[in-house]
Amino acid sequence: MTSTGPMTAAPDAPAPTPGRGIRRIRVPQKLRNLELFLLVFVCLINAFAVVLVQFGALGYADFTVFTLGAGLAVLVIGMHVALRFVATNADPFILPIAALLNGIGIAMIYRIDIAENLSGWESTAVRQVVWSAVAIALALVVIIVIRNHRVLQRYTYVAMLVAAILLLLPMLPVIGQEINGARVWIHVGQFSFQPGEVAKIALAVFFAGYLVSRRDSLSMVGTKFLGMRFPRARDLGPILVLWALSMSIIIFQRDLGTALLYFGLFVVMIYVSTGRASWVVLGVGLFLAGAVIAGQVLVYVNDRFTNWLDALNSTVYDAQGGSYQLVQGLFGLANGGLIGTGLGEGRPDITPLAQSDYIIASLGEELGLAGMFAILALYLLFISRGFRISFAGQDDFGRLLGVGLSFTVALQCFIVIGGVTRVIPLTGLTAPFMAAGGSSLVANWIIVALLLRLSDTVRNQPRLVI
Amino acid sequence: MSQLTLLILQLAFLALLWVFIFIVVYAMRSDLFGQRVRRMKEPATAGAAAASAGAAPAAAPAAPAPPAPKVPTFVPAPGTELSGPPRATTSNASRLVITSGAKSGSEIPLGTEPLTIGRSSDSSVVIRDDYTSTHHARLMIWGDEWVIQDLDSTNGTFLDGQRVTAPVHIPLNTPIRIGATSFELRR
Repeated sequence: MTSTGPMTAAPDAPAPTPGRGIRRIRVPQKLRNLELFLLVFVCLINAFAVVLVQFGALGYADFTVFTLGAGLAVLVIGMHVALRFVATNADPFILPIAALLNGIGIAMIYRIDIAENLSGWESTAVRQVVWSAVAIALALVVIIVIRNHRVLQRYTYVAMLVAAILLLLPMLPVIGQEINGARVWIHVGQFSFQPGEVAKIALAVFFAGYLVSRRDSLSMVGTKFLGMRFPRARDLGPILVLWALSMSIIIFQRDLGTALLYFGLFVVMIYVSTGRASWVVLGVGLFLAGAVIAGQVLVYVNDRFTNWLDALNSTVYDAQGGSYQLVQGLFGLANGGLIGTGLGEGRPDITPLAQSDYIIASLGEELGLAGMFAILALYLLFISRGFRISFAGQDDFGRLLGVGLSFTVALQCFIVIGGVTRVIPLTGLTAPFMAAGGSSLVANWIIVALLLRLSDTVRNQPRLVI
Repeated sequence: MSQLTLLILQLAFLALLWVFIFIVVYAMRSDLFGQRVRRMKEPATAGAAAASAGAAPAAAPAAPAPPAPKVPTFVPAPGTELSGPPRATTSNASRLVITSGAKSGSEIPLGTEPLTIGRSSDSSVVIRDDYTSTHHARLMIWGDEWVIQDLDSTNGTFLDGQRVTAPVHIPLNTPIRIGATSFELRR
C-alpha cells in the first residue's frame, strides 16, 4: 500500500482532490451516451423488423410490435440505465450489438410463429421475449454482484466443479431428457434447459484461472520438432483430460457441437496463454483423430458425416434422419438470393427447427446475402470488441477470460453457420442471441455482462494525457 | 401492401442494418486506425527538454525520425549513484513524476494497480506524440516491486539510458524515457 500521507486520501482521483465546499464537477458519460444513441437506433430497427414481418406475412400491422419490439427495448434500456450507475466505463458497443441480434432473432421467430399459426403462450416469440427478460435480468445481477472480475479467479476450482455438475445433470435419470437423440437437456416442470450452454462460461473461468497459474510449465519446456516446440509428455495431462471429456460428450450425450465447442475453447485459451502454436496443432490433431474414430464407431456421427458429404444424394435426402433439413436450409438460402425474399415473404418454415438451429437459414432466405453479411458483421464486431477488451486488459486472468468468452461466441457462430451452410458437418448448436431457446440466451447475456464488467475495470480512463 | 412497397421497405431495412454497422465502425475508428498524433512542433524544444533531463545529450532530433538507441553514449546523470537507489516497491514509491517533456512537472499518485503507457486512449498514461507506440510499455507489480516492461514498442523504452528489452525492476528516482518524455518513480 501507499505510505500514509495526503496522497492516500484519493489514490484513484485523476485530478487534484476537490477541497471541502467545492462541488465535484459531473463528468459527462460519453460512452454511455453513445450507447444510448445506438440502443435507440437498435430498438427502431427491431420494431421495423417486426412491422416488416407483419406486412410481409399478414398484410397488415397490429399491436404485436409493442409486445415484441417494446418488450426488448424496455429491457435493454433498463440495462443501459443500470450500467450508468454500476459500470460507467463499460464498452458502449457490446450491449447495442447484442440487443440488435436478439431483436432480429425475435422478429424471425415471430415470423415462423405466423407460418405455423402459433399465438399467445404457444408462440415461441413470446416465450423468447420472456427468456430475454430472464437473461437480461440475470446479466444485470451478474454485473451488479461481480464488481471486479478478479474475484472470479478465487473460484477457479469451484467453477470447474460447477461445470462438471452442469455437464452431468442431463445424464441424471429423472430430470435428464433426450430430444432428437442428444441427451443435453434437463426438464423441470414446464421448462427444459440445456445446462451445457451455461457450463461453457464456468469452463472459461476455470481455464483462465488454471492457465494463469500453470502456463509457465506449459510454455517453457519441450522438445523442438518440425520447427515447433512441442510440450513434454507429462505436460500433456490437461489437454488429454479435456479431450477425454469432449469425447465422452460425443459418446454419452451424443452432441458433437458442444464437444467441439469445449475442446476448441480450451485449445485456444492454452494457445493464447502460452503463445505456442504446437498446442493448436496437437489439439486439432487430437480432435480430428477422435472425430474420425467416432465416425467409424458411432452410427449417429457417421450419419452426420454422410449427410454432410453426400447431402444432395436422394437416398440420403429421403432417409430417416437424413439430409432433408440441411438441404431445405440450402434451398432456402438459394431462394433468398442477394437481397432476400423480404421479411415474411419466404417459406423458411419448410425447414425443420427453422426458429432455433436453422434460424440462420431462415434469415438468409428472407434477408438474402446482404442481410446475412450484416448479421455476420454484427457477430464480427461483437467478437472483435471482446478481443479488444481482453487485449487492453491489465491482469492476465482478465485477459484470458475475455479471450475465452469472446472466442466461445466466435466458435459457436462458426459451428452453427458452418453447419447450416455445409462447410462442416451439421451439429446442433444455437446461433448466439438469435436462436429460440432460453439456455442459449441466458448464457450469452451472461457473457455480455462479464465482457461489460471486464471492459469497465479495464478501461481505466487515462490518468494523465501528454 | 403492393409488392413494390414491400421491396422498398425490405431494401430500407437492409440499408438500416448496414447504416448501424457503419455507425459502430465509425465510432470505434480510433481503435481500428490508432489515435491521432500530435506532431512535435519544434524539434529544438523537444531536444532541449530531453537534454535537460541529463540523460540524452545526443537526443536533439533534427528530423522527426526516431532517435537511435544511444546506449554507448550513456553518461549517468550527476547525482545518481550506479550502485544505487533502492528498488521501487509499492510501499516506498508513491508517485510518478514527469521530469521532461510537454507535461514536465506533473505527477500522478501510484496505487497498487499496474499502469499502461501508450498512445491509445485506454492507456493509463497517454502520450500522444510521434515517438510513442499505441501500447508502448507497462509498469507492473511483481510481488510488491515495480517492474517496467516494453511492449515491443518501435522506439523503445529507456531505463536510465539503457533500452528495456526484458521486464526490469525500477530503482527509485531513476529516469525512464519514452520518446521526449521522461518520468521517475519517487517516494
